[in-house]
Amino acid sequence: MKNFAYINAASEKAAIESMSDKALALAGGTNLLNLLKEYVLAPEALVNIKGIAGLNAIESFEGGLKIGANVTLSELLDHAEVRGRYPALHQALYDIGTPQIRNMSTLGGNLCARPHCWYYRYEYFDCKKRGGQGCAAIAGDNEFHAIFATDGPCVMIHPSSAGPALVVYGAKVKIAGPGGSRDAGIEEFFTLPAAAVARENVLKPNELVTHVLLPPPNGKSATYEVRHKESHDWPLAMASVALTMAGETAQEARICLGAVAPVPWRAAAAEAALKGKVVNETTAGEAAQKAAEGAKPLSGNKYKVQLVRTAVKRAILAAATGRRV
Amino acid sequence: MATVKTKKTTKSKKASQIPVRYRVIGTRPIRHDGVDKVTGRAQYGADVQLAGLLHGGILRSPHAHARIRSIDTGKAAALPGVKAVITSADIGPVTDRVVDLGEGATRLQHLRDNILASGKALYQGHAVAAVAATSPHIAQEALRLIEVDYEVLPPVLDLREAMEAGAPLLHEDLHTDDLGTKSMQPSNIAKHLRFEKGDLEKGFKKADQIFEREFLTSMVHQGYIEPHNATAFWNADGRLAIWCSTQGGFTVRQQAAAILDLPVSSIKVIPMEIGGGFGGKIHVYLEPVAALLSKKSGKPVKLVMDRAEVFEATGPTSGSHIQVKIGARKDGRIVAAQAQLAYEAGAFPGSLVVCGMMCIFAPYDLEHQRIDGYDVLVTKPKTAPYRAPGATNAAFASETVLDEIAEWAGIDPLEIRRLNGAKEGTRRADGLVYPRIGFLETLGAARKHPHASAPLEGPNRGRGVASGFWFNVGLKSSVTAAVNSDGTVSLTEGTPDIGGTRTSVAMQLAEVLGLAAADVKPQVVDTDSVGYNDVTGGSRVTFATGLAAIEAARDIERQMAERAARLWGVPASKVKAAGGVYRHATDSKKKITFKELAARLDETGGPVVGKASLDTSASAGGGFGTHIVDVEVDPETGKVQILRYTAVQDVGKAIHPSYVEGQLQGGVAQGAGWALNEEYFYDDQGRLANASFLDYRMPTALDLPMIDTVLVEVPNPGHPFGVRGVGEVPIVPPPAALANAIYRAAGVRLRQLPMNPGRVLEAILTRDGKPPSKA
Repeated sequence: MKNFAYINAASEKAAIESMSDKALALAGGTNLLNLLKEYVLAPEALVNIKGIAGLNAIESFEGGLKIGANVTLSELLDHAEVRGRYPALHQALYDIGTPQIRNMSTLGGNLCARPHCWYYRYEYFDCKKRGGQGCAAIAGDNEFHAIFATDGPCVMIHPSSAGPALVVYGAKVKIAGPGGSRDAGIEEFFTLPAAAVARENVLKPNELVTHVLLPPPNGKSATYEVRHKESHDWPLAMASVALTMAGETAQEARICLGAVAPVPWRAAAAEAALKGKVVNETTAGEAAQKAAEGAKPLSGNKYKVQLVRTAVKRAILAAATGRRV
Repeated sequence: MATVKTKKTTKSKKASQIPVRYRVIGTRPIRHDGVDKVTGRAQYGADVQLAGLLHGGILRSPHAHARIRSIDTGKAAALPGVKAVITSADIGPVTDRVVDLGEGATRLQHLRDNILASGKALYQGHAVAAVAATSPHIAQEALRLIEVDYEVLPPVLDLREAMEAGAPLLHEDLHTDDLGTKSMQPSNIAKHLRFEKGDLEKGFKKADQIFEREFLTSMVHQGYIEPHNATAFWNADGRLAIWCSTQGGFTVRQQAAAILDLPVSSIKVIPMEIGGGFGGKIHVYLEPVAALLSKKSGKPVKLVMDRAEVFEATGPTSGSHIQVKIGARKDGRIVAAQAQLAYEAGAFPGSLVVCGMMCIFAPYDLEHQRIDGYDVLVTKPKTAPYRAPGATNAAFASETVLDEIAEWAGIDPLEIRRLNGAKEGTRRADGLVYPRIGFLETLGAARKHPHASAPLEGPNRGRGVASGFWFNVGLKSSVTAAVNSDGTVSLTEGTPDIGGTRTSVAMQLAEVLGLAAADVKPQVVDTDSVGYNDVTGGSRVTFATGLAAIEAARDIERQMAERAARLWGVPASKVKAAGGVYRHATDSKKKITFKELAARLDETGGPVVGKASLDTSASAGGGFGTHIVDVEVDPETGKVQILRYTAVQDVGKAIHPSYVEGQLQGGVAQGAGWALNEEYFYDDQGRLANASFLDYRMPTALDLPMIDTVLVEVPNPGHPFGVRGVGEVPIVPPPAALANAIYRAAGVRLRQLPMNPGRVLEAILTRDGKPPSKA
């Protein structure tokens, strides 16, 4: 990796003043350090934000939770309220990476992680995100790439496992910048490559995610992930589901897919299909079919269309029954 | 440290007992290197620190195939802190010749070109230049300042395309050795070999049905935890010292001597502790480069690969394309078998296709066979051995076809293997006639194991069976053993300890001398400090270095008997030794223990040292394994879950059963990874996309159930305790056993590895609706 200056930011303000496109925020480092080693990123400075007061707490907030961006995944998993009231989030994070990675990774880092597309991560491949002319994934090995929004300039899958769960809970992201603080809806936070290929969210180089705001949950929820290995692996496809139930009927359904699109991918047609239905194998299966509609898989990942159906069906049933399917 | 019985972590059952009582062999003492390893004190190559040490780095080709027009190292050399920059020009003039490294002959030019490319870069990651600097960071920065002018050439990545006439050539001067005749035209096929037995056409005429199938396997990596490393110091007196992670100090010495044009006696190799090798730490990569950097800078230089370098530029095992044609009678008897194996050699000749050819039908007694093998160059890293190299690919093909035949004939998979099974006197296609072997015994033990008859509970589950063979090697080992005055013995070995061999070798010496395992102090030393030893490989160390230890122990015992004779003033022929006690043949009052005698060596003539140097090749004993596996296939995701796994193997005699069980479990784990997870992703330009453990999916402990082991002990007649090699056989059956289990669970026959969720799911979604048969 290239030599860099190390800036220890004591406050949000100090961090923001130091940050730029050449001075990147460092939290857990589980993603950033790999990119530095591969020279994918070669900043002049790293701004350590781990020491900023107030960014490492989980607090009650308007009936829900206010989670500091520096809260680690392990801390989230150990939190009784996260486990009890937000099972979709808990299940999404449950066995990410390894215990060591979960001890270091932060929620803010999970939302802001750079793509794990291997054509992005190795400098000798062509990648528009790194300023290149083309996308090596289109003609290359794209088994693990997107099946939605594949007509854009980049077919990455968003690496955040928390993202889909936060979407179904209607979370907000608190962003601090030179002009103060603002709240963005979680769905507005993530941006498609067509909007700006070099980045994955609305953050400007001198802006920082400080908190995630979770409204109180109003129903049942679950996440189902299809993964090749049991540990230390990326998801092949995942689905988070939140259901507002009246008896066995879903009054409202929110369904969001992960690891299949450049952003957490809201499955509106599946939500509509489930709305007002008694939740069972059949209706869950019908909604799952709808969730896969509009998929345009690449040359090597048609199988992921079926994985989406499986993940959605199982997540719906898990949410409705409270049991892992 | 007393000999203790460790708690059994697995249930090993001895299917046939050898009626000999041993005091040490068959027990489970704590390993001699255990404390250092668990406390982190063991010294690995990356731990080497020397005064004035420089840190090196290697510049690697970003292209899979490119002519190197020029290399400009000026800017790199000018960077402050840089002490040396080298390219292949620094190796010195090359007179190409064939060098025999004890593991098969290699062209010196190829050996040199793989460590630093000269004319062409032949795979992405091929070393092109190297730097030594005062810190690793400066070395990395300097590498980016080296300017290489490449003429990019078309890569050849698919081995079938590489075999076609007109394919881009890796080596313009390479002609096929086609059954001993040189081809007229240059080619990517380095070698075509054939084994033949009987009359194939005649055999096929007797068949009721002929099964012809085709198989593809991906290149996979050995995946050792510890990356390659080397530290070298080229002294002003011309002596070169190399510290490294290797399976054999002497092979490093030999290869470095050939590459650097030095006499072997000028080089001392110090093998450090090794964090896994599996065959991948036999070729040299860094050692001669570190030496040249040291020569140029005058300082010791350390090179340590990162994981991406390990994946890009070191020892994968061959990907392969295998065609199998087997004729069978309705009664399940195989009447003819033919195979064609094409193996990727990588960028330089030398795949181990010949081993695949030896193993593919080795478990069976077949009258009519023909086996063809092709060693094929592709623009990928030079392949290296990987645990039973070549055999796993081959068994994946033959053992799944056999499963199809069993189903067609309506015969149990274990029974069809018994029906055709090889035994003492069976002649293999390559000519070897088996001495006493234990294949049928593994089948019998598998049948008796509760796993074989346990009901499969639940849908989408299936049970698969497969067998496998590895011939195991003997080769050369030397040890010395010095008796200490406190009654212990210091045992000096030259075969690096990978699987607990310090202890398994020490136990054999202890058994002969009537000592406890803890009374023997084994150490692995440098190449100046012990006689010649071949590599730790071929599952040979417990067998071959064990034989040397037994020989050295007998040498000690003979000398000790002489000392006792001297004490008593009787001829040596009057002293009988047994169980560590030396007795007068007729006077029962005259007896002395080994320990008592050891304390009296000074008064009876001075120190006692035993030694042995052996070539054990003729007496190595082949090993067979039979595996049973239950899987559940998720029909909606294609994911295969291993529910239960039982590995049965003829191990000859288990010296330390825990290590033998560990070898079986480790082999199964790697075989399962090969079967279900692992593959290389190269783009059409030959650039590797998944050079990290994040994307190269080796299984973890959570992906595997507890692997049950059954140790069958049919003694190898070539070893006094009956030892056979055990480390390699267990990786051979898993891919076929898993493919067979997947078929029984999901009704799909997979003939391509890995059998990952995407591939299994696509097979399920397109299957012809044929219901799976019952296991």
